[in-house]
Amino acid sequence: MRPRLDVERVELPNGLVLLLSENHSIPSISINAIVGVGSRFESDAKAGLASLVGALLDAGTATRTSQQIAETIEAAGGQLGTFGDYQSSGAVVRLLSKDAGLGIDVLSDLLINASFPEDKVRQVVARRTAQIRARLDVPRTQASDVFNEIVFEGSPQHRPAIGYEATVTTLARSDVQEFYQRYYVPQNTMIAIAGDIDKNKVKGIVEATFGKWQRSAEFQPPHVPRPRRQTSPIERFVSAAKEQVNVVVGHLGIERKNPDYYSLLVMDTILGSSPGFTSRIPRILRDEQGLAYSTFSNITSSAGLDPGRFIAYIGTAPENLERAVEGLRGEIVRIVEGGVTPEELETAQLYLTGSFVFHFQRNSQIAEFLLEAETYGLGFDYLEKYPDLIRAVTVEEVGRVTRQYIDPQNLTTVVVGPVEEK
Amino acid sequence: MTTLTTTADEETETGIETRSFITRNVQKTILSNGLTVLTKEMHDKPVVATMLWYRVGSRNEELGQTGKSHFLEHMLFKGTDRYKKGEIDLITHLNGGSNNAFTWLDFTAYYFTFASDRWEAALEMEASRMRNTTFVEEEFASEKQVVEEELRIGLDGPWEALENEVWATAFRQHPYHWPTVGWLEDLEAASAADMKAYYDKWYHPRHATLVVAGDFDTSEVHRKTEELFAGIPSGPAIAPLKLIEAPQRGEKRLIVKKQTPVERLLIGFHAPQVAHPDSYALKVVEAILSTGKSSWLYQRLVERDQSVTKADATYHDHIDPSLFYFQAELKPGFTLAEVERATFEEIERLKRGEVSPGDMDKAQRQIEASLVLSSEEPLQQAMLLGQYETIAFGEDVPEDSRGYHYLDTMMERIAAVTTDEIASVAQRYFSEDNRTVGYLIDDTNSPERERDSAT
Repeated sequence: MRPRLDVERVELPNGLVLLLSENHSIPSISINAIVGVGSRFESDAKAGLASLVGALLDAGTATRTSQQIAETIEAAGGQLGTFGDYQSSGAVVRLLSKDAGLGIDVLSDLLINASFPEDKVRQVVARRTAQIRARLDVPRTQASDVFNEIVFEGSPQHRPAIGYEATVTTLARSDVQEFYQRYYVPQNTMIAIAGDIDKNKVKGIVEATFGKWQRSAEFQPPHVPRPRRQTSPIERFVSAAKEQVNVVVGHLGIERKNPDYYSLLVMDTILGSSPGFTSRIPRILRDEQGLAYSTFSNITSSAGLDPGRFIAYIGTAPENLERAVEGLRGEIVRIVEGGVTPEELETAQLYLTGSFVFHFQRNSQIAEFLLEAETYGLGFDYLEKYPDLIRAVTVEEVGRVTRQYIDPQNLTTVVVGPVEEK
Repeated sequence: MTTLTTTADEETETGIETRSFITRNVQKTILSNGLTVLTKEMHDKPVVATMLWYRVGSRNEELGQTGKSHFLEHMLFKGTDRYKKGEIDLITHLNGGSNNAFTWLDFTAYYFTFASDRWEAALEMEASRMRNTTFVEEEFASEKQVVEEELRIGLDGPWEALENEVWATAFRQHPYHWPTVGWLEDLEAASAADMKAYYDKWYHPRHATLVVAGDFDTSEVHRKTEELFAGIPSGPAIAPLKLIEAPQRGEKRLIVKKQTPVERLLIGFHAPQVAHPDSYALKVVEAILSTGKSSWLYQRLVERDQSVTKADATYHDHIDPSLFYFQAELKPGFTLAEVERATFEEIERLKRGEVSPGDMDKAQRQIEASLVLSSEEPLQQAMLLGQYETIAFGEDVPEDSRGYHYLDTMMERIAAVTTDEIASVAQRYFSEDNRTVGYLIDDTNSPERERDSAT
């Protein structure tokens, strides 16, 4: 089954890229206005700045208060969210299709005219202090944070995008404004609109709103330092009063544009990423040994503009810790040394090609795909090409990329739970 | 305000027909063995979702055997006489589909999604595991550990320990007293034989609803359903449970201690069951208080007092009366008592009739729009159809709202709610005597914890 998407790409004179996909199955739309900026552009000293700017986008504009922004969208039954993440920031709104104009108007106001009132900046900074502390309440998040600090050392990705209490509390309104002015510019912005729209009408509305945005003469993306791959094994145990131990094992991963991405996607499906318990890690560690409710691995899901991470995860009872860690490492060694069988390859290929259609059911998924295709140059005919990219992968290729990108000798292992610190 | 009381063919301002777009084209048939079948053809996406709902959940369990419904759900993936262990997942996988299941207070539901040319495989697997699941002892033992790990994940999460305590305190005698996953001690004591007996009691056509939504031909689904399910005996009748929680006579308060950087508040008020005449006004109250940044709780607690990172009100439809509950996550430097007080002040505003026509209008639109925004996938629509077919039954539910038809009348009942009704339901349900107040406090530095870690 080869799904097709009818996509239109328009570049406005100010450099902003508009991506449109029309379908009329449900009277709703998703509008994603995304700026190519995130915590990868900030310094360690200002960790949390991009995320703070993203969170403050709806805190007020030149002509609307935060409450008016919320009222405008919510009175129409719409849902608005703003964010600043590792590599992108922006605002997303989901609305009934008759309110498309309203949604575009509000989003353009947030991206062009956000005013960052002083009291709102203080208020959100104070709230973030609590949110940063609350990360310790989700042991999987805590384990992942500790893991990132080690594996991404030297690159901005070692930090949680939300930042640290010590850095976030020093951020001032002037930092926020400066960051916004520097990076929130039309030539660094993409807008994807998917759903029950009339493309020509929507194009006109976008031109009349976002079209007014002045191109910036100074815009220059900064250099992003790259992490180095570790050359020896690292172990870190963090004590926390919890029922389970949360274990993350892995190392540095790959970029999305890496040509071996598809072979590694197949490898992921075989090793630890298929739903249900068909892939090795969940089948053996959960279904056969009963060690965990949640256990998986992947390298492709975190692939972005910068290299992501290869991780294998398990949450288990403290008495099973040793078996669980050995189990994860054992499966990693086994796939690197032994490769995969033709049956496993075929199963993974059937799954990946057959399930692809489910990535395009909701308007929000379609909008996200359009942005991804634009960001990584996948081409809007990606849906048609994808099955062939997956079918071209061979047993030998999976073996080669597994050996090339997965290194069982140099893994970082992080354990969080009722254990002794080390 | 958008009026939603037009006739079925007219369109409202929002472009949605009064009679829900979700129920449009739904066909209901009941096989002679009692299996209810709902089909909804939708051809805009080349996918089919199938769901099998059983009207059994933790509500149907007994003391000492809690968590059985959920555990049983896990066992239905462990093999049948026709599919050996792992095969249900493997077939799903090879067909590029997905499957999962969930259990809650009132029901257990299983689902598959497949590309539209292969939905028959889903029905074959559901038919097989309805009566022919094998309960192999060693499978049971390893799955017990998996379920115990699932329970521990919950206890390690930010909310579950407090939620469990509040529900257990608010419900003295009704089975909503215990969590769906069960108490750990009961899980440890569970046997494969218990599980099999429970399966034999409940997993029969008469307690089940099959929902098929998506890109298929209805007559083919009916033919296949007949072929696969019609031969399964109806199963033993079970007298409907009459479970009544006596009215609460006085506020209940509790404290849960845990190592946590963030203190949390949870307040539950006993509130009526699905399709109760007051339930619609309470849904509007839920939206006014907690949907979006313009909602009352957000404006009061996050914006004005700045005492919390988030605050929510939640009210779900259940077979029996449940809880309308409030949750807040505190910022450092604020006390649970002051957030509790501020929450009650917002509730008092409801009681005094401070809801404006604008608040009403917005809440009603939000409810309506969120129904549209969360129904893009056939699976999402199948979820709603199956859920209401399963929970909205019995004499207490008005005839025009029974089963999935609940979705037909829901929006018009919500649209008919008046500001006076908002004040009166707030007065009726949000009283001091009717509430259970739970505090989650940090005991990192308490003498008890130091003593614990010393031993």
